[in-house]
Amino acid sequence: MRSRPVDRFFLYAAVVIVCAFLVFPIYWLLITAISPPDQLRALPPRFWPETPRWDVFGQIMRERPILLWLTNSTLAAVGSVVLSMTVSVLAGYSLSRFKVRGGQSLGLFILTAKMLPATLLVIPLFGIFRTVDLIGSLWSIILAHATLIIPFTTWMMKGYFDTIPRELEQAAMVDGCSPFGALVRVILPVSAPGLAATALYGFVLSWSDYAYARTFLTNAQTNWTANLGITTMKGEYISNWGDISAASILVALPILLIYLFLERYLVGGLTAGAEK
Amino acid sequence: MKSRFSLDLARPSRRHWLGYLLLAPAVILIGLIIVYPLFVSIDLSFQNVNIARLDQPRRPFTIANYERLFTSPDFWNAVWVTLKLVVIVSLFCFLIGLGTALLVNNKFKGRSLARLLVALPWAIPEVIAVVIFAWMFDSSFGLMNWVFITIGLIDTTVNWFSSPNAAFFVVCVTMIWKGYPFVSIMMLAGLQSIPEDFYNAARVDGANSWQRLINITIPSLMPVLGVTLVLVMLWVFRDFSIIYVLTGGGPLKATQSLSIMTYEQAFSFFRMGYASAIGIVTLIVCVVASRLMIGRAPDNI
Repeated sequence: MRSRPVDRFFLYAAVVIVCAFLVFPIYWLLITAISPPDQLRALPPRFWPETPRWDVFGQIMRERPILLWLTNSTLAAVGSVVLSMTVSVLAGYSLSRFKVRGGQSLGLFILTAKMLPATLLVIPLFGIFRTVDLIGSLWSIILAHATLIIPFTTWMMKGYFDTIPRELEQAAMVDGCSPFGALVRVILPVSAPGLAATALYGFVLSWSDYAYARTFLTNAQTNWTANLGITTMKGEYISNWGDISAASILVALPILLIYLFLERYLVGGLTAGAEK
Repeated sequence: MKSRFSLDLARPSRRHWLGYLLLAPAVILIGLIIVYPLFVSIDLSFQNVNIARLDQPRRPFTIANYERLFTSPDFWNAVWVTLKLVVIVSLFCFLIGLGTALLVNNKFKGRSLARLLVALPWAIPEVIAVVIFAWMFDSSFGLMNWVFITIGLIDTTVNWFSSPNAAFFVVCVTMIWKGYPFVSIMMLAGLQSIPEDFYNAARVDGANSWQRLINITIPSLMPVLGVTLVLVMLWVFRDFSIIYVLTGGGPLKATQSLSIMTYEQAFSFFRMGYASAIGIVTLIVCVVASRLMIGRAPDNI
């Protein structure tokens, strides 16, 4: 059905205005980063700087240990995702294919675990990690982020395995594959998109954490994650908004790129994770 | 040929030792990092502990933390702040999320780009969203003071972070901006599962676009709408980073939600027992409220 040109025009106008309005804060972050400091105080504000300072990103990386923070965030995210995915893939497969006594209650517990407030769990974890001397180490947030990630990834993986026909590993086992071999050689390759979506989602969860990093790593400056580093810049006596914005862009960039290029996987994971 | 392994996955009873073995790593890890800590915090909430070291001898059992909690004006203030946030932020997340989803669900050139842009704030970490809005609402050189004065909403520059109502407003704006894209994404997924035939049939019957929205779109979205609403409310209820980095709960506790109060009691005042009690109450409210809202569930979340 064709719509009238007038409707087309209003539709496009609405889309452009809405997108511009909602994305504006991100645009403003970029403008703040590349404007020379004196232009940040201009009234009326300048919506495009006369002399953009694109070198601000290189400069801020030399002045602040941004690369170190990004490395720490990456290590924490990769560590917690690998740990969570390993146990979630196995558990998700078991929940999908086997009848295990207590399996259902475990599933229900995992769902309830999604509701645990981080501010509740952070207290006992702090005590436990202090007792075993993990405070200040990246392992503390790798384990803590796993508490955020596992409840999601286990159900997401179970959901993906449920969509794969049983005949597949049945055939492999008839051909002499062990049940575990069937999982590794047949099921995992078939569920690669699901694995990718789930892992990406876990990565985003870990990358976005602030509460655990703030609690466990504040006194270990060399292990600061990106989010923790940014908040320390914001907390300084004189806020240099240009520098903070430039650093913020570098910190947001990995997730933004994942979103822009792998949106399909990420959204698939998000909606699947919400349904289960 | 019969398999060497006596495992038939097609049979209804699929008990096998491998099922248990595959679950074992998850059970052990979840036991260590979720269940055990949960028990520790329940235990802490019944003790008068001011320092979290587990190698200390256990303090005597007491319900003083809970007594103190329910008689503390600060606690009821935090409950009120949290409720206000949940209602206001969820409502606007839904209005904007549903509106944007309906908008980009139209067929037009460049709609995949529009879909990407409309949910872009989802990809911005909460701490970075705070940086953006803290700067936009900066009292001296922030953009929003200029915008609001220009369009005549305010007469003079407002110091957004020293007035309770203004700070609460900024927290709401930041959370709505960070939260609505999730609703858009979920609603778009829901919209795409509505068969085109429904709309064609309605058009044949002469239904206008408003009638189609009320009679087809909204009812079809109901299941996903309910789940999304609960997830958004849970997020607002428990969120820590946005408020803590933006206002720290101030000024005058105007933005001190239950999460912020828990954290502050634990790590500013080191009242671990008291803080655990607040956290436990928060958890119970979350579980009960979401059960009530989804009914039978939690297997729908």
